[in-house]
This record gives sequence, structure tokens and C-alpha cells, in this order.
Amino acid sequence: MPAVFRPAALRPAAAVAAALGPDGPFPDVPLGRVRERRWLHYALVSRDHELGVVANIAWLGPSPEDPLRRPRCTAILLVHQRSAGWCASQFNAHTLSPPWSAFRAPNPHGAPGRFEIAAASGRVGLALDLVRSSRPCTSQCAPFADDQHLRWQSETGVLARGDLTFAGRLFPGVAAVGYHERVRGYWGWPELGGWVFGFANDPAGPVDAAPETAVVFTLIQPRDASDAACASVMLWRRGRLVRHFPRRCVTAAVRGALDRDRVQQVPELANLFGVPPMQPIPRRLVIAASMGRDEVVLDFACAGAARIVIPNETGVAPFSVHEVIGPCDVQGHLGNRAFGFRTHGIVEFAGGADAD
Amino acid sequence: MPTDSAAELLVETIDALSRRAPAIVAAAAKEMQGIRLALHFGDASHASLQASHSRLLARAERLPEPDVEVHFDDRSMNLLFDLERRPVDELAAGSLDVRGERPSVLAVWRVFQLLSQRASGLRAVQALWQAYRDRRPRPWGALRETVPAPAATPAPRRTGWRALDYLAARHPEELEEPDAILGGTVGAPARVLWDGRTSRSWWALPATHDADLMETLASCKARVREELREMIPDREPRADLYDLMRAYPAREGKGLRPTLTLATCVALGGRAEDAVRTAAAIEMFHNGFLVHDDIADESTHRRNLETLHEEHGVGLAVNTGDAMNLLAIDAVLANLPTLGLARTLALIHEVVHMCRETVEGQAIELGWIRRGTVPEADAEYFTMSTKKTGWYTCITPCRMGALCAGVTDPSLLARFDAVLRLVGVAFQIQDDVLNLIGEEALYGKEPLGDLLESKRTVMVIHLLRTADTATRERVGALIRTPRSAKTVADAEEILAAMRGHGSIDYAVALADRLAHEGARRFEEDLAFIPENEAKAVLRQIANYVTTRPL
Repeated sequence: MPAVFRPAALRPAAAVAAALGPDGPFPDVPLGRVRERRWLHYALVSRDHELGVVANIAWLGPSPEDPLRRPRCTAILLVHQRSAGWCASQFNAHTLSPPWSAFRAPNPHGAPGRFEIAAASGRVGLALDLVRSSRPCTSQCAPFADDQHLRWQSETGVLARGDLTFAGRLFPGVAAVGYHERVRGYWGWPELGGWVFGFANDPAGPVDAAPETAVVFTLIQPRDASDAACASVMLWRRGRLVRHFPRRCVTAAVRGALDRDRVQQVPELANLFGVPPMQPIPRRLVIAASMGRDEVVLDFACAGAARIVIPNETGVAPFSVHEVIGPCDVQGHLGNRAFGFRTHGIVEFAGGADAD
Repeated sequence: MPTDSAAELLVETIDALSRRAPAIVAAAAKEMQGIRLALHFGDASHASLQASHSRLLARAERLPEPDVEVHFDDRSMNLLFDLERRPVDELAAGSLDVRGERPSVLAVWRVFQLLSQRASGLRAVQALWQAYRDRRPRPWGALRETVPAPAATPAPRRTGWRALDYLAARHPEELEEPDAILGGTVGAPARVLWDGRTSRSWWALPATHDADLMETLASCKARVREELREMIPDREPRADLYDLMRAYPAREGKGLRPTLTLATCVALGGRAEDAVRTAAAIEMFHNGFLVHDDIADESTHRRNLETLHEEHGVGLAVNTGDAMNLLAIDAVLANLPTLGLARTLALIHEVVHMCRETVEGQAIELGWIRRGTVPEADAEYFTMSTKKTGWYTCITPCRMGALCAGVTDPSLLARFDAVLRLVGVAFQIQDDVLNLIGEEALYGKEPLGDLLESKRTVMVIHLLRTADTATRERVGALIRTPRSAKTVADAEEILAAMRGHGSIDYAVALADRLAHEGARRFEEDLAFIPENEAKAVLRQIANYVTTRPL
């Protein structure tokens, strides 16, 4: 079956000015230094759990050699099919410009916006109508290594409907629900160390409404032990952030290791280079948070992973972000009411390789 | 067959460990040297435990005049491999009694520690003891009920879980069932990433020192055999070529080479699947060498079946061997799209080196046979053995596994050489011993085949070095007799001379010494490999030679 996309019609995402939304925690100052970064991140899981999507569009400060001081842009798309694993573009995926973002005004609830991104080869791509159903959290910030920091703002319950292409095969009319995030910061990969991040949306309820419950967790693990790690769990109910469990209220544990044969290295080009070996990804991840009488436990089982080999701007060794998809159980109490659901979520384990 | 008595359970456990985790048995045997241990259990059964070289000999029988006696009641017996409770919290007064000289008692205690701490992680051992406990629940039934049962559905009450408690107490099997080609044979404890105050990197894995060798050999062998089947074309001429190629590798082997390749790749951070094609290529080379070797040696049986040339004639056998070698090169080249040019070229370089070593080793041995000479020193045998079988059996599979994982540094690749040379030679000597004294059904070759072929083994070299002139001349004449003119009676005469001059005992002791040296070098030379389950598999193989039943 032919691919649905004609990527040449899209353009590499280059315009950063309009891409990242309003000021505030993310002031629109020029990207001046090499390690200054801005991201838009998208992660979706189809309602039948058959397909998963991770897309990332990143702008980076200009190369010192560039006399025009233009920010550099990369875009990558990964699509996961349950029976076939991951299929990914290179870092030069083509997208509409500016790309859709919940953080760009005006962006009212219920009004669809177009989001298209595809590999230059057309082998993997998507053309979706994305709809906001929820409100974002307040921005979070993890400072480390003197002046380095990572600041992000999340919005759950992003509703999606449209076409996906996986390894050249078209999946039309896919309905999905997921997560969107913008990131701004200044960091080097070795100093950052790693992070564990993930989300889960309750699949029950109407397909055109915000999930009944949604959970997002983040654990930033800077390389230097003296840097304070940052942990948080956030809980949404029907589109509104209702609880933020800060670091002292959160615990995280893992068990076992995912079989490496279930981890694909992407982009495929990375397989041809001497990339340092990956670390074993945990097989199970449990995040537990409690504050007063409110609590939530998220039990995630890693089923398959993609290791994204990200070039390092300040050294030869690349950085690794492992996108992991799998079933998860969420249960908890909120305001004396129990809740629980089983769904599929996406978790990121970043860092880990010796040279990272 | 269910194990009913505690003594039988102990024997079964030691037997399982000898096959599945030889490194644990070797370490325990080292502590046990010279100590005769008698064990008495609450069910009135008795067992004995002693060490012989690196083997543990356990028997369900009462041992007279032991050095150390240990009395277990049912409860203390149960606690040995019960991961749910700490023995120190549960042991009742008087339920465990140890008597003997203090150094011996302490040595036995270290053995118990070794067995309980290292072996209890193995899923196979856990299953063995769980089955025993389930058949005899009374002494500890009340305690088992105190363990919280996992909830099948989200609980309608407060969980109260912290992440680690949750993982430690709830581990649904459907989420953790091991399904990898390599790994999952030992239980992994849960670990904390974040406790609210401090962070531990998700990639900082605890070290794993042991693994189940038997399960790993089986899964690696099965996966590589599947790859071999896919490698062989399904086209004409089937009957005279491809069917022969397909049938020959299907003969039962241990799966040592595929396991070495896959385990080295995974131990160094690679994916097992990335090494499968390479492991299949080595197997194909191995089979090609065997077909030609059987013709040169005029062997009649291989792996319990007739050799290929006996069954189909020399012409077809030679051609099939050639085709196997050709297909093996093709398989190595087929790594290009997945491993890239640099690693594939390095693999080809390894293959060329392996083939050169193998044909040189074969030439040395065939030259000895053609000229009717026998080397005087063991070292000459070591050189020949390393070249002829050591490279393609042990050294190259590891080096190529490392290359598949992306390790191309020659100094790191060379670290495998000395370790696996020692292990390979020890393994070959044991194989030669087994050919003389092993059961044919287990060994797979014709009985006394090596003596009929006049193979220059350590036993032959030792016999000719130590025998009196008359014996030396008689045995020398028999060795120079062509195979076609040699009888089983001739072979038995040589065997009797070997027994008379202690040549077999000498060979067993020599193999043991080399294997120990190999196991020691394994820890030193391969310290650069992180301690993970795949490295634990390599460790079990390095120790397998020391505990192999003879």
C-alpha cells in the first residue's frame, strides 16, 4: 500500500519564532548559545492500543561557524505498531510550519488543528487533527550543573484523529489520545545525565472529551550526584490539573530488564556507526505518590522500546533517549474517591549509555 | 519425578546446579575440599556431600565417620531457599545443629552461604524447592499466609504502597515472564530509583554473577538452529546437497558455540538477535569442518549417527562440506545491512583468521598421523588443539560476539584469547577422556574411536612418554597401524596400557588444572565486561569444564 504522504509538500520545520507559544515561563528570546534548546514533544497512543506515536521537533542554538546565527532544527517521528515494533524517520522529518502546539494562541478547546509530520522517505508519517481537551500544568523547572536547566510544561488529553503510515502501510482514521509538551532550556547532555518520564490517559469515557483521569510523572536525574534530582507526579481529572505531588511525595522503583532484542535503535543510520552499547531498560516501573489522603500508583510494564541516538553538540559520544511503550495499571485515591484504570502508556528512559 | 525426602531434594539441587550453574558448584567445591559432610533431616532422611576436584558429590545416604555433621529440622531446611523470609528472623532455637572441627564447620557454613545466596536466585532452583514446599506445606503453612496476596483488580481501599514495596510484593507473571533468547533465568530484585530524597540512576543495574547455563544453551541453540534452517536455500539439487546440509546441523550438539557468541554480544551491551546470524555462520563452518574432518579421520559415527561420507559417499560429503563453508561466508556478509560495513569487515577478518588456525591445526595433526609420529610434550598438543578446535569452538565465537556488540578494540578482543584457549584445551582433553571412558549414548561418537583413528591425545602422549620400552614400542606400532587394519582389540590394548600407566588420571588432572586456570583468568582478563546475566553465562561455561561429569 502506498504511503499517504508526499513529504516534499511539507517543509523541514525551520521557523522557531512562532513555534513555541506565548511568553511567560518561555520568553521568546533568540537562541544564542549552542546548547540552548526548545522542543515541542508529542506522544500518542491509539485507543485500541495498536499504534503509538512519538514526535519531537527541536530547535537548537546556532553553530558558532554560522555567520547568520540561524537556529538549527531537527524533527523526528517514531511510530510503533504492536506486532511489528518501531519505525522511525531520520532527524530530518518534514512537517507543517509552524507545527501545531497547544501552547500557541489562539488555540481554543474543541477546535481541531492540523499536525503533519513525515519521514523524508515517506516510509513513516502522520496527518492528524489534534484537539485540546485539557489545560496545561504550570511550568516545571529542573536546575543543575551551575546555570544549566530544563524547563517544561505539559498538557495531557490531546485528542487525535487521522491517518498514520507505518513502514509504508497506511492506517486510516486512527483515533488516539496523548500528551503534548514544550521544553525550553540550556543544557549539555553529559551534565543532564538522564530522566524518566511518562504518562497515562484513562481510555474510558467519550472519545471527544478529556480523559476522566490522566497522570504524568517526571524524574530528572542529573549526572552529578550533588545536583538535586527533580521528581513530580501530576494528576488531571476531566481536563483539569487537580493534584501535583512534589518530589518528597514521590517514590519510584524498577524491576528486571527488558530483553535488548525488544529495543530498536533509531534512526536506522545509527546502526551503521559505532554507537556505545545501550543500558538495559527496566522491565517494570512503578511510580507511587501520596500526599495527605490522596495517592496514585502507576505500574508500567515495558513491552517494546526504541533507542533514539541523539548527536551530541559538544562531544563525539551521542545521547540516548529510550521511548518505551507498554501496558500500565493506574490506581489511587483522590478526595476519598478511588479510581483505577488499565491502559497503554509511553515512558521515556533517557541517558544510560557509558558515553552519555 | 517428585522429590519426597529432603535428602533427595538436596541431591537433586546439587545435580541441577552442576548442569545449570557450574560456577556456583566450583566455588562451593573449593570451600569443601577434603571435608566429608553428613546431613540429617527432620524427615529422617540422610545425605552426604563431598568435593572431588571441582565437583560436588551428593548422595542420599548416611555417611560414616563424617568430618562435619549438620542436623536440619523441616523448618530450617525450608528456609535455605525461601526468598520470602530471612532465615535469621525465622530460625527456631535448636532447629539447626552443626558439629565438627571449627575450621571445617566454618567451611561448611561458607558452602551453605554460597549455595543459598547464589543458587537461590536461579528460577529453576526456586521451582524445585517451591514444588517440594508445596508437597510438604505443614511446617511452614502458617507463615506463608502472612505474605500479602496480590490483588487482581484495582483495590477499592487505600493502597499505602511505596513504589519498592509495591514491586517487591506484586509481580504478576504475565508482565515478567522471561521470553528472551538470553536472560531471565535468575530472579531480579526490585530497586529504588527515587525515594523522595535521593536518586539512583535507572541504568545503574545491580551486578548479576550467576545464570542458568542449561536453559541458556537450549534457547541459544534453538534460535541459531532456526537461523541455520533459513540460511539453507530451498532449491535443487535438494537430495544431493541442500537436504544433506539441512540434516547435518540438525544433529544434536551442546549449543556451546552459539551460546558463547550470543552471550558475549549481550554481555557487552549488544542485542542477541544481532549476533544470531554470526553464530549460525560459525555453526555452519563447524559443520563443514566436521564433515571434512570425519573423512580425513575415517570416522564412522558423529553425534550418534553415521558420518556423512559413510551415509552418502565421500564425493557428496566433500562437496557438502565445501558448500557449508561457502554458505557460512555468505551468512557473515549478510550482516552488512544490520551491523554496518566496519563490523562486517571485522567479522570477515575474524573468520579468515579462524579458518587459517583451523586448517593449520588440522595439518599438524594429519602430519603426525601420516609420519607416524607422536609429540613428546603436552605443549605441542596444546598448540595443535588450540589451532584445530580451540579457535572455532571457543575463541572466535566470543571475539565475533564482541564484534557484533560493536567492540572492535584489538586489545579488548585479545582478552578472550588466553582464557578461552585454556578452557578450550581443557574441554578437548575431557572430550578425549570421554571418548575412552564415557557412555557412547552421551558422547555421540563411536566408542574408542580416537584410538582406532590413532588420534594423538594427551593420554597417548603421556603413555609413550612414561611407558617402558617394550610397551612404548608395542603401542607405537599399534598407533602407526592404519585404521582399516586396526581392530577393537588393538584399541582396547592401548586403553589397558593407558589405565596401567595412569594416563587417563593424568589427563583428568591436567584438564582440571587448565580449567581452573581458565576460570581464574576469566575473572582477571574479562573484568572489563560488566557483571550482568550474559557475562554470568560465560562464567558458567568457563566453569562448566571443571564440573563436567566424567
